[in-house]
Amino acid sequence: MSEKVPNQHGASAAKLGASDKFSAYFRNHQMVAVESLVKLLSTPASSLLTWLVIAIALTLPGALYMAVNNLQQLSGHFEASGQMTVFLATDIREVDSGALRLKIASLDDVNKVVYVSPEQALEEFKQYGGISDALSFLDENPLPAVLLVEPPLGIDKDELNTLVDQIKSFRQVDSVQVDMAWVERLLALLALAQRLVAVVGVLLALAIVLVVGNTIRLSIAARTDEIRVIKLVGGTNAYVRRPFLYSGFWYGAIGGILAWLMLGLCWILLQGPVSDIAALYGADFYLQPLPFAPTCWLIFSAAVLGLLGSWWSVQRHLVAIEP
Amino acid sequence: MPMVRFDRVSKRYSSGKEALSGVSFELARGEMAFLTGHSGAGKSTLLKLMMRMEVPTRGEVVVDGSNLSRLREGLVPYHRRKVGVVFQNHQLLFDRSVFENVALPLLIAGTSLKETGRRVRAALDKVGLLGKEKLNPIQLSGGEQQRIGIARAVVNKPALLIADEPTGNLDPELSAEIMNLFSNFQQVGVTVLIATHDIALVERMNKRRLILQDGQMIAGQNITSGVAHV
Repeated sequence: MSEKVPNQHGASAAKLGASDKFSAYFRNHQMVAVESLVKLLSTPASSLLTWLVIAIALTLPGALYMAVNNLQQLSGHFEASGQMTVFLATDIREVDSGALRLKIASLDDVNKVVYVSPEQALEEFKQYGGISDALSFLDENPLPAVLLVEPPLGIDKDELNTLVDQIKSFRQVDSVQVDMAWVERLLALLALAQRLVAVVGVLLALAIVLVVGNTIRLSIAARTDEIRVIKLVGGTNAYVRRPFLYSGFWYGAIGGILAWLMLGLCWILLQGPVSDIAALYGADFYLQPLPFAPTCWLIFSAAVLGLLGSWWSVQRHLVAIEP
Repeated sequence: MPMVRFDRVSKRYSSGKEALSGVSFELARGEMAFLTGHSGAGKSTLLKLMMRMEVPTRGEVVVDGSNLSRLREGLVPYHRRKVGVVFQNHQLLFDRSVFENVALPLLIAGTSLKETGRRVRAALDKVGLLGKEKLNPIQLSGGEQQRIGIARAVVNKPALLIADEPTGNLDPELSAEIMNLFSNFQQVGVTVLIATHDIALVERMNKRRLILQDGQMIAGQNITSGVAHV
């Protein structure tokens, strides 16, 4: 006590100016953001567990989304075409089929007609592994001649139906198969898959909120004394809440980044096999990774979900702690 | 205007126990007083009302001009920043250093880091712990821990300092030291109210004495009448 008594007229906390207050507030946010991250990293085992749970919960809808996205791109190639296969009666002579080809080519809404003879069809068929042996048992070629009819790109459904009816009305035509049918089925399935992504996404989002909420509840319980002291010496509710909200944010954001890495891993693992299958179907298809915008959304919504979870927990448990 | 004014304050807890009934008194600015009474007489309740940790069932508690019953919930923390408080069990945090414990009120109030360092060292100097700021409170003795609590209570330069059994666990010599510290703060203009059951110590200090018995103030209500011996 030998040194001089500090000046009692010095600046006091109550006399901070508005800009000082703002910068103090900002500084506190910065400090708490860093401190809460450091705190999570200082207990790597338990934090990693929470992060992995969040990441896995996000990877599932993320992977579904990626799959749907890819299928959508695949269907996009066919959506506008409406190409149709016209099967001719088996007893038709080659000359007649040539005439029919010209007749069909002269119709409105027909761009191109290609004739595939039964022999050509058989040759093409033999290219597929395993079938050629079976075909060699047959005495005669069972395949009909085929006309591949290509309407202009972007033809609408009514016009396409009219065209199909016109072609069906020719006597020599056995049946017409519009490739559109399977495209429509695919699109319907895709719509279902999209709905599935949404439902799974919402359920797992809820799971993330609960997981983060519960983790925050435990850390609130572990810091009850600290909260009590802070409230005693004049800490506002916002001040007490802040570190927990930042923890929730970090749980979500880092969980989101981990989910993105997991999706990247899935992409690397699946890319090869998918290309192989596509090659077998003669398609030039390449598995797309999760695009940039959805990736941002993934990480952003993970952070928001973490924040929501901690907010929910803090509202429920922090108010109860009073000095 | 007095620093503290209790006007016919009663406090009944939800358990039905009436901790205080019709208590009225004033504390002048810069005054130092003791609050005594048997355990369960209502000392802690009275201090809690001043901190707005409890609200009175009836009557008014006015601290530094603000009526605590009418204080908005959101303004309670700002009220607490104006009051330094010391507890028998210190309420220190053992996961941080002495410096960080004392700095807590300043951190909360948003004081700049430079100013915080200066004030924390000044407060630790006053309680004689300047060399121990980097230690963990758990490494220090009971008396030293209590002094950390006092440093934390005064670091924000509060106009009012209240203490609940600050010498409860200390031997007479250390208790006297702590009490001297409090009277040092009074000498620089801080209003001090100390709840204690250490009558011998109170008598030596020769200050006004407020006495509670079964929730009623039986002596020391008036600033003029309540000097020392009752």
